[in-house]
Amino acid sequence: MDTLFGITGKDFVITAYDSKAVASITLMKIGEDKSRELNPHTLMLFSGEPGDGVHFSEYIERNIKLYGIRNGFELSPRAVSSFARRELADSLRSRKPYSVNLLIAGYDVKTNKPALYWLDHLASLADVPFAAHGYGAYYCLSLLDRYHREDISEEEGIKLMQKCIAELRSRMILNMPDFVAKIVNKDGIRLVQL
Amino acid sequence: MDTLVSKYANSSSAASFDNEEHIGDSLTGWDAANQFAIPAFDIPMVGNPVDFLRAHTDASAENRIRIQHGTTTLAFKFQGGIVVAVDSRASGGSYIASQTVKKVIEINPYLLGTMAGGAADCQYWERELGRRCRLYELRNKERISVAAASKILSNMVYDYKGMGLSMGTMITGWDKTGPQLFYVDSDGTRMRGERFSVGSGSTFAYGVLDSGYDYNLSIPDALELGRRAIYHATHRDAYSGGSVNVFHVKQTGWEFKGNFDVGELHWEYQAQPKGPIV
Amino acid sequence: MFSTYPGQVVVDHPVSVPIEHRFDPYVDNGGTLLSIAGDTFCVVAADTRQSEGYSINSRYVPKSVKLSDKTVISMGGCYADCLTLTKKIQQSMEWYHHAHGKTMSTAAVAQMLSIMLYQKRFFPFYSWCILGGLDEEGKGAVYTYDPVGSYERESCRCAGSASSLIQPFLDNQINFKNQETQKKNLTLEQVVRITKDSFTSATERDIYTGDYLEIFVITSKGVDVQRMDLKKD
Repeated sequence: MDTLFGITGKDFVITAYDSKAVASITLMKIGEDKSRELNPHTLMLFSGEPGDGVHFSEYIERNIKLYGIRNGFELSPRAVSSFARRELADSLRSRKPYSVNLLIAGYDVKTNKPALYWLDHLASLADVPFAAHGYGAYYCLSLLDRYHREDISEEEGIKLMQKCIAELRSRMILNMPDFVAKIVNKDGIRLVQL
Repeated sequence: MDTLVSKYANSSSAASFDNEEHIGDSLTGWDAANQFAIPAFDIPMVGNPVDFLRAHTDASAENRIRIQHGTTTLAFKFQGGIVVAVDSRASGGSYIASQTVKKVIEINPYLLGTMAGGAADCQYWERELGRRCRLYELRNKERISVAAASKILSNMVYDYKGMGLSMGTMITGWDKTGPQLFYVDSDGTRMRGERFSVGSGSTFAYGVLDSGYDYNLSIPDALELGRRAIYHATHRDAYSGGSVNVFHVKQTGWEFKGNFDVGELHWEYQAQPKGPIV
Repeated sequence: MFSTYPGQVVVDHPVSVPIEHRFDPYVDNGGTLLSIAGDTFCVVAADTRQSEGYSINSRYVPKSVKLSDKTVISMGGCYADCLTLTKKIQQSMEWYHHAHGKTMSTAAVAQMLSIMLYQKRFFPFYSWCILGGLDEEGKGAVYTYDPVGSYERESCRCAGSASSLIQPFLDNQINFKNQETQKKNLTLEQVVRITKDSFTSATERDIYTGDYLEIFVITSKGVDVQRMDLKKD
């Protein structure tokens, strides 16, 4: 099962996903991208039903991009998350709902604040300081409760993410090989080496 | 005269395959470019069509509609392009429906698709993909990329997610960006990769493929690795068998490298020493 | 139920729910069909018994239909579906003829049938189809289908209730599988003999096969039909 993480800090959000693609009992690929850049300051991570994640997040991505092109300015992370939530909620009440769990990490360039939204497959949305989806959440939420502060720096954020992944590697029966981490801050979205 | 022209202009633009009543029109004034929508399918008039189909295709059904299944297919990138190797068995339940299935579908001279899961699903949708790739070529005066072709396929089958389609395919080819390999299935999953194996015998094929793989393999060695991986899968997986078909994807397009009866391959490999473990 | 206050609606029967009926529009009418391609000819054969469970509906209901001078279709499974499908093919072939002024080739009919079967992917025709005929070069061609339209050109194929009895025999006699002898082309006489032997033998062991055998022989001269008795028990 996929694991997604997100942690906010003083002026950034760090996110991570395991890059495994699984079909039944076979590991098909390592290095699968489970995130989409919705706009220069908003990143969406997805997990859940195979196929749905990519299709839903690309649908959101394109609408958010279109908004940026039409209006000449980008939606805030909060607006993005509201839009994504509503789309998911509407889909949930249709004949064929998307079954996806999401994390939306962003940096609001107007208020200069990082933002992290947790969105599950039933379209419940929460604005949180840190979040996780998948089995990883059972191991790491307590760890994050213990160590997380609102004013952590990027170095501390990376260290905290490393602690979470180390815990997963030592306790989960599933092999957790490669995590991909990305940081969202005022300069945009960038990959970080864990 | 004008009325006559407008009458025909209308009938050709209104032509579609959505409804069989229009077949007559479509044969006279049909234009492929007007017909870009996915054809409509007949759906049973029941509350839940998905349950209906499942009830009649399940192993427990009284009059079971046996849809052909079972496979081992593989494809991998290496320095000399891409090797595609597949078996040729189709089974309906425990009956071997065919030992001579063509599981590599030649979409066009530069694109190959493999077939795992429902035989009809793969054949139909990859044929539809071929049609759309040709239209793309005519409109844009250049060949479609493998990424775009595989995305068309993925999007088409994703529209029918949960309706009971079963398809696990690899789309390979050579485009402007070089050799390309994508895995596409009926869940809507689509991913780029270096090395894939799909089907009931895929785990066995992976065993041989992963252990013998090296990106710098020579062309003959790579073709042999593909052939051997499929042979070992047919040996262990009862749903796979028949013969091995091997293809090589090169810059100049794909090339068929031969059909090898598994029955003969077995004794050929038995006679060979197993060699050192590297 | 009893009323507890004035004006309450009294319901004296349980809440009614719609009666559910399972929609089961399929039945297997049995029968066996076979087709073998030769160098310059094609043989399509089928028995004519139609059954439903342990009852025999009729001893003579043909399963094969001549579609053109070059093409014959044979179908088994649910007879109602086979009838509909045959009519659809015939109608489309007629329209094709009107539109293009020529008869559909065997390969074109073969591709069309695949699409027709797939259009019913979610509500399949319960039918095994075998299309026999001559290709554009005059060579024998056999196209075989699964119920939802996957198809393949082969040299011989048996489908229907006795398929698992006859197909291994054909593999051995037509394709020389597991034989030391070199593969060679068979004559029309040899193919017809193998066909007759297949059906007389299958009739001995399959309750759904019997009564009469109808053999369509397709050559460049056209389609010739022969009938032969099978056991009627």
